Amino acid sequence: MTVVMRLENITLEYPVPRQYRKEDVRPSGVRNLSLEVKQGEILGIVGRNGSGKSTLLKMMAGVFPPDSGRIAMAGSVSLLAGVGVGFHKELTGRENAYLYGALMGRTTKEIDVLIDEIKSFAELDHHFDRPIRTYSSGMKSRLGISVATAFKPDLLLIDEVLGVGDASFRKKSEERVKQLMNESGTVVIVSHSMGLLSSICTRILLLNDGEFVTIGEPKEVLLKYKELLKLD
Amino acid sequence: MSQVDGDDGLTPLWGKRSLHRLPFIVLKDLYSSRHLLKLLIKRDLSGKYRRAYLGYAWAVLEPLLLAIVYTFIFTILVGSSDPLYPVKIILGIIGWTMFARSLTTSAKSLSSSINLFQFARVPKTVFATSGTLTNAVLALISLTCLIPFYFIHDLPVTANLFLLPVWLILLSFTGWGIGLLLAPIACKVPDVLNLINFLIRAGFFLSPVMWTYDMFNSRFGSGWHGIVAHMNPTVIPITGMRDAVLGETSNIPGYGYAMCFGIAIIGFILGAMIFERKAHSAVVNV
Repeated sequence: MTVVMRLENITLEYPVPRQYRKEDVRPSGVRNLSLEVKQGEILGIVGRNGSGKSTLLKMMAGVFPPDSGRIAMAGSVSLLAGVGVGFHKELTGRENAYLYGALMGRTTKEIDVLIDEIKSFAELDHHFDRPIRTYSSGMKSRLGISVATAFKPDLLLIDEVLGVGDASFRKKSEERVKQLMNESGTVVIVSHSMGLLSSICTRILLLNDGEFVTIGEPKEVLLKYKELLKLD
Repeated sequence: MSQVDGDDGLTPLWGKRSLHRLPFIVLKDLYSSRHLLKLLIKRDLSGKYRRAYLGYAWAVLEPLLLAIVYTFIFTILVGSSDPLYPVKIILGIIGWTMFARSLTTSAKSLSSSINLFQFARVPKTVFATSGTLTNAVLALISLTCLIPFYFIHDLPVTANLFLLPVWLILLSFTGWGIGLLLAPIACKVPDVLNLINFLIRAGFFLSPVMWTYDMFNSRFGSGWHGIVAHMNPTVIPITGMRDAVLGETSNIPGYGYAMCFGIAIIGFILGAMIFERKAHSAVVNV
C-alpha cells in the first residue's frame, strides 16, 4: 500500500510554565514518534487529554514544526479543527467563506464553484450576506463546518469538530465528514467517541503522555485504551 | 516504534533553509500567497470603516483634523508664521502614521493572529504584510486632503511629485522590516508590545511631524546632533515627501540618504531572517 505520509522520530515539547520549572515537571507534547499513513486508510488516534493527539495532528498538517525528526508527505493535506477561527465579525458570511477558503490555500475561482453549496449546507439563507457579528454561535459553527468540509484534500485530518450545532446539524455534519472521508480516501481522525472510531477506522494509534503505546486493529487498541483509563 | 520503510519520493513538510535565502523566501511566499494577501487587505479595509457613516472619508479627515490642532498649538507655542506649515504637518502626519502603523501591525501580526496560526498552514509573513499594505492604501487615500492646498497656495506641480510614493513606500518598507524583526519576541514577551507602543509615542516627537528638517538644522546645525537625528529612519523620507509636494530642495547630506536606505534594507534582511527562523516556535511556545 502506498505511503502518503511518513513521520520519523518526531518530537515536539512545549515549554514548562515558569512556576513549575523547579518541580521537575515533564514537558507535554509528542516524543520520538514514528508513523506511516497509508493511502486509503482511516487512522484513528486515541489517548487521554494531554496525551499529544492534537499536537500530533498539527504537526501532520504542517502547522507546528517538530523540534526534531522528519515529516514527509505526498499530495495535499487539510486540517479540520478550530472551525470558525479566523472569521472577521464585520464581514458577511459569504466574504468570510472566501477568506476561510483562501486560508485553506484555495483560490477565488475554486471557492466560486463551491459557494452555493457552502451556503446551502450552512443553512444560513439570507443571513449569508449579513455580517457574522449578527450570527449566533451555532450559525458561526455551521458556516465554519460548511466551508472547512467543502474542499477535498488527499489527506484529511480531523480533530473533534463534529459536536457543533443542533442534533440535526450534527447528524448532517457527520454524514458530510463521512462523505469527505470516502472522497479524500485517506483520513486521520482524533476523537473521544469510541463508537465512531470503532465503526470507521481501519487502524487506531494509542498515545499516552506524548508517547507511542500501540497501533493496530481498532478493537484491540480500544480495549487497551480502556485498560489505560481504568488505571487512573 | 519503527515503521519506516525507506524514502519513496515524499516531500518534507519542513525543509532546511539557509539563512541567507530567507529574505528571498519571504518575497516568494508573499507572491505565492498574493490571493490571500488581497483578501486580507480587503478584509482590513472594509472592516475598518464599515460601520462609520463617513466611511473612508475618515482616512482623509483624520490627518486634516490633526493638522488643524497641531497648527493651532504650534502657532501659539512657537509663533510660526509659515503659511505652508499646515501642509508640512499633514505630510508629516501621513508619513509618520504610515511608518508607525506598518511597524506596529507587523510587530503584532503573530500575537494578533495566534489562534489562526494554531490551525492553518499559511505563510505568517502574509499577515505581517497585509496590515502594512492596508495602511499604505489608507495613506494614499489620506493624501487627497492635500488637493485643496494646491489651489489655496498655488503649489507647483513638478516631476518631483513622483518621488512622493517613493518616500511613502520607503517609510512603509522600513516599518514593515523592523516590525518583522520584533514580531517573534513580541509574541513571546507581551511587554515588548507595550514598549513598542511607548517608543511609537515618543518617536512622534522625535520625528519631523511637528517640526521640519530646516528647523532642526537652523537650531542644531550639522554636528553630531545631525548624525544622531539621521539615525531616525523617518527624518529623510518625511522631509523628502515635503520637498516633493512643495517643490523645495532640503540640504540633505549624502550620508543622510545612505542611512535611511541602509536602515530600510538591513531592517528587512534581518527582519526576514529572524521572522522566518523564530516565528514558528514563537507561535508554538506561546
